[in-house]
Amino acid sequence: MKLNYKNCGILPLLLVLVLSSCKKETDFIYGVTDIDIQKPDANKPNVKSTFTFISIAYSDLFGTTISQAQLVDLQTAYASFGDQRFIEQMIIKNFLNDGGVDIPLQSEMNADVEQFIKDSYVKFFNRLPNEFELWHIENEIAADPTLTPELIYFAMMTSNEYRYY
Amino acid sequence: MQRRGFIKKAALATAGAFAAPYILPSGRLFAATGSRIANHVVLCLFAGGVRNFESMQKAEGNLMPFTLTGNESINPQIIGGMDALPSPSGQRLQQQGTLFKEFRFAQGPTGHFSGHSTALTGQYVLGDLNIKQRPTYPTVFEYYRKHNSPSMSALNAWWVANTLGPYPALNFSQYPGYGAEFGANFIQPGSIISIPGYNSLGDPKNFEAAQLDKVKSLRQFMDNNFSSNYTPGDAGITNIEEEAILIENYINNSFDEAVAGQYDNPWGVGNSMNGDMYNVFFAEQIIKQFKPELTVVNMQDIDVCHTNFTGYCNNIRKSDYALAHLWQTIQATPGMANDTILISVPEHGRNEEPNTILDAYGKYALDHNSDEVSRQIFCLVVGPPDKVVQNQVISTVTGESVDVVPTIAKVLGFHNDIPGGMLSGTSLDQAFI
Repeated sequence: MKLNYKNCGILPLLLVLVLSSCKKETDFIYGVTDIDIQKPDANKPNVKSTFTFISIAYSDLFGTTISQAQLVDLQTAYASFGDQRFIEQMIIKNFLNDGGVDIPLQSEMNADVEQFIKDSYVKFFNRLPNEFELWHIENEIAADPTLTPELIYFAMMTSNEYRYY
Repeated sequence: MQRRGFIKKAALATAGAFAAPYILPSGRLFAATGSRIANHVVLCLFAGGVRNFESMQKAEGNLMPFTLTGNESINPQIIGGMDALPSPSGQRLQQQGTLFKEFRFAQGPTGHFSGHSTALTGQYVLGDLNIKQRPTYPTVFEYYRKHNSPSMSALNAWWVANTLGPYPALNFSQYPGYGAEFGANFIQPGSIISIPGYNSLGDPKNFEAAQLDKVKSLRQFMDNNFSSNYTPGDAGITNIEEEAILIENYINNSFDEAVAGQYDNPWGVGNSMNGDMYNVFFAEQIIKQFKPELTVVNMQDIDVCHTNFTGYCNNIRKSDYALAHLWQTIQATPGMANDTILISVPEHGRNEEPNTILDAYGKYALDHNSDEVSRQIFCLVVGPPDKVVQNQVISTVTGESVDVVPTIAKVLGFHNDIPGGMLSGTSLDQAFI
């Protein structure tokens, strides 16, 4: 077997490339909270407990932790009626009527509808919307100027998926 | 021949499909044929553990003057512990129906949840009782909603409990084929129509109908995308949307009325109004509002007897007054009047021997530990004269707690539709015309 010395200059270059490809990757941290993005319908087999549902719903709407006293009152109200979906809707309606609730303005939503939908899905469902969901809700918003962020929040927080984790 | 046979079978199958009866939502063929005795049943659990000595045998005097005939005066030793209540007038409840004076809670532990579970399932709890779990046998609500024809919505079945604890679990069972889909609306009014309840739920965002339609449409889209994970019943029972609106209006109106002070002294008895009376009051509001076909309401303040015998006697009087008030309300409610059977029964009794706790009037307290006396109770069936035998007292040992569910099923006409072997008792036919 003969060596072709004309190509000998390429060998060091290949060696450098191989060695550099084995270099350990550096982890950069940008100060952004990690978000576990999951596929829709995947890995959500559990129903939230009363405690979890109320605590998360409060945090999602007010951006802060619910007080212990308010949590106890809400848990009692929750346990006092057998149709949990019904009582969840009443709880969310009361949250939405509170002056301290943190909901984007309609103008903010309209400025970037796609981002609003993505943010909302991550906030409430802990995942990004799939293409179909994004397309459908974008169309709904585009077709109906009375569809407010508040109504979209209300729909998401009273959906079945919001009750699961 | 094979082809001819296939065509023949196909033709028969097609004809059968057209001739087959409609399959009801309950999965049952044909509409029920059982005739009803009445269109409404109210079961009032005179619970908390009532001993026949103090109720039927009047050992401390007639503590139930609205229910029982007789003017036996209350034992002077405890009279100082009795709160003021109105005096009865007109017919007593026992005169408007049939009284089983020697009813029995025959088996199982004489515990409150065990007794409630037996009254609502028609099965004694003989094994280990887990109060964190739903009953292992279907409740009367599930039998009613599954087997009654036509199938009735949850608005027709209510379980009005005086406390939380394990009692919310009694509105449906874990029995396969039954469950939340056929459960009752559970409500604990004392918790929800309260200051904490008002603070939590009393100031809702009011959306326009068109806005709610948009929300519904979006939610349906989201629910469809999540359908593979969702299991019906995970959120308890479900009211259909139109009826959920009615319930929400009812709760909001109740908040308004409570804030306006209308619930401060609703029966005009002042400070005598106890938790049991309030629970019956709220059951009456539900009866007036929704006219349910099946309502169960309980009282349990009688259980102070563990430490306060005189307080127990006082609360028997209040439960007696509340029971009569309930019947008056039923008879004053169009759609319920003359078409309702009221059944009242304690869940169990109390021990023959007292414990060591003495009250302020020198009377020893009583527990309930499954001795023979704690199994001795009564059962009262009240109804219109053309349906219930009037002024009948059955003084021999007759009837058991497990007979209550079959009796309700008989009254509402679905008794024959309950699969064989599910119920261990029999209906109290002696009470009916």
